[in-house]
Amino acid sequence: MAPVLPGTMLFSWEFPYMPSPLKYFFSRLVGAIVTILVGSLLVFLVMKAAPGDPALAVLGDFATPESIADFNRERGFDQPVLVQYMHWLNDLVHLDFGTSLSIASGRDIGELLAFRLPNTLTVGVYAILIAIVIALILGTSAAVRRGRPTDTIATAVSVLGVSMPDFWLGYMLILGLSIGAGLFPSYGFVPLSESVTGALHSGFLPALAIAAPMAAVFSRTLRAALVDNMDRDHVTVAKSFGHSRRFIFLHHVFRNSIIPFIVVVGLQVRYLLGGVVIIELIFGIQGVGSLMVDAAFARDYPVVQACAVTFLAIVLAVNFLVDVICAMLDPRRGGRS
Amino acid sequence: MKVSHLLKNRTALAGAVITVIFLLAIIIGPIISPWDSAGFDFASVLQSPTGAHFFGTDGLGRDVLTRVLEGARVSLMISTFGVGLAMLLGVSVGLYAGYLGGWFDDTVMRVVDLLFGFPAFVLALFLMVVLGFGVINVGLAIMMVYLPIFARITRNSTELVRNDPYIQAAQIMGQSTSRILFREILPNISAPILVQASVSIAFGIVIESGLSFIGLGVQPPTPSLGVIMAEGQEYFRRAPWVMTMTGLTITIALLALNLLGDGLRDLADPRLKSREI
Repeated sequence: MAPVLPGTMLFSWEFPYMPSPLKYFFSRLVGAIVTILVGSLLVFLVMKAAPGDPALAVLGDFATPESIADFNRERGFDQPVLVQYMHWLNDLVHLDFGTSLSIASGRDIGELLAFRLPNTLTVGVYAILIAIVIALILGTSAAVRRGRPTDTIATAVSVLGVSMPDFWLGYMLILGLSIGAGLFPSYGFVPLSESVTGALHSGFLPALAIAAPMAAVFSRTLRAALVDNMDRDHVTVAKSFGHSRRFIFLHHVFRNSIIPFIVVVGLQVRYLLGGVVIIELIFGIQGVGSLMVDAAFARDYPVVQACAVTFLAIVLAVNFLVDVICAMLDPRRGGRS
Repeated sequence: MKVSHLLKNRTALAGAVITVIFLLAIIIGPIISPWDSAGFDFASVLQSPTGAHFFGTDGLGRDVLTRVLEGARVSLMISTFGVGLAMLLGVSVGLYAGYLGGWFDDTVMRVVDLLFGFPAFVLALFLMVVLGFGVINVGLAIMMVYLPIFARITRNSTELVRNDPYIQAAQIMGQSTSRILFREILPNISAPILVQASVSIAFGIVIESGLSFIGLGVQPPTPSLGVIMAEGQEYFRRAPWVMTMTGLTITIALLALNLLGDGLRDLADPRLKSREI
């Protein structure tokens, strides 16, 4: 069995009559779709098995058996679980996530997500960009000055970065840059649709808090990949041709190091989105993570479910993107499925 | 891997030393501390760090250092419990999947891939909603986050060695499958698993403190690092030291475990080290 990249697709499909790159593309796409179907079923079943009656959560402790029965009938909760799942899935395919039970009672969950998802994505993408910039600086300078003080310092900084809990770092950034220096707001987020500069300004601290641990992982990966490539034979050959160091680094070392780097960036999205949840709460960002926590407290099951599936969809979409980018950068990968 | 090897690797040594100091502190600290972690002292509420209270006092006048040490013990125990369970189950499943292959391997790895599709903290959060709050459930949530990682690492390592001559020898000798798995294969693939364990325990502490911080994990009055930070967050502007010191403690613990993990990784794979330096 071909080695499966961590975090990639659950199922792969073969398309025998298609050209190889397309085949790869489609098999990944179908795999992602099947994964999200299985994942949503799992989320649904586990949620159904959860203790606590959603009817009680909505109607309160003084609910009569009749009102509970009415509620369950109205919502379709009295039907067999698989029938409920099929209904839910059918709605999901039409981007109808149902309605919220308690936190925004009666409101359409799709509406809630449509409002909040852009904020989560903005902060997430912002964090990835910051992490990549830091990693390019730290990782490259460490690799180029391998074994010298710069390398040691860069390595120490990255171990430290990985060791700080992101939400604590968020508070430390508030303490230093917001309360102390007054440079950034400590609470609230301006959506990207309202103001680009406002989003970049108000999103900087949360994005930086999430970016720090990622930047550490990225720069270590980049350093290891660069160092590995520097020792390869083709680099020695390029040196013997008398190419400049700069040329060799950019064309023979850096280019070959990009693929492992992108794979790790893709893998870290899983941790990034986890960090987003608490960071959104701390900085008062109206995102999917804070919605999920609010819903968790209110036992608003349909909202928790919708948020979990949304997060799964984002991770799978990013993995798909990473697979496609890697296949484009490295033709050897494309034929494999 | 011997202890003498550990002593020669500076990274591993530094990690091990800080870990031991940290463990001693959280075991002995609360005993020798002159303060009671639950003793209210309304005369000394929210005092900044002084000679008497190294980490200051919290909103109820309790000594933050004593509480942090006790909280670290709770957090570390929860994380170790969760990671321990994940290791036990993940390694067993991974061994069988890697050794047997076929449909069992396929099924297990598909489940693992699916679990990998969820963001780690979202998975933990989701499980807390399903299981309900509380100490044991936080441990179980941590287990679910790390289970797929242990299963995958073990399975991949097992697959690499399963056709080695010594395994064939064991098979010819008629050893049972479980004996081959746990007596022959496991000792030979234990290095990456141990590295993963030390790193996982570190991040298990972060998951615990994150869940408890937002109020979905350990519930007060049980002190855990997350609970203390949640309390510190309420008066963060007036008394930032509660939050700062607790977080610093987590950072030091994580740093130690990460260094230990890095060092162990170098020791387990000397090729990697020579390439890195």
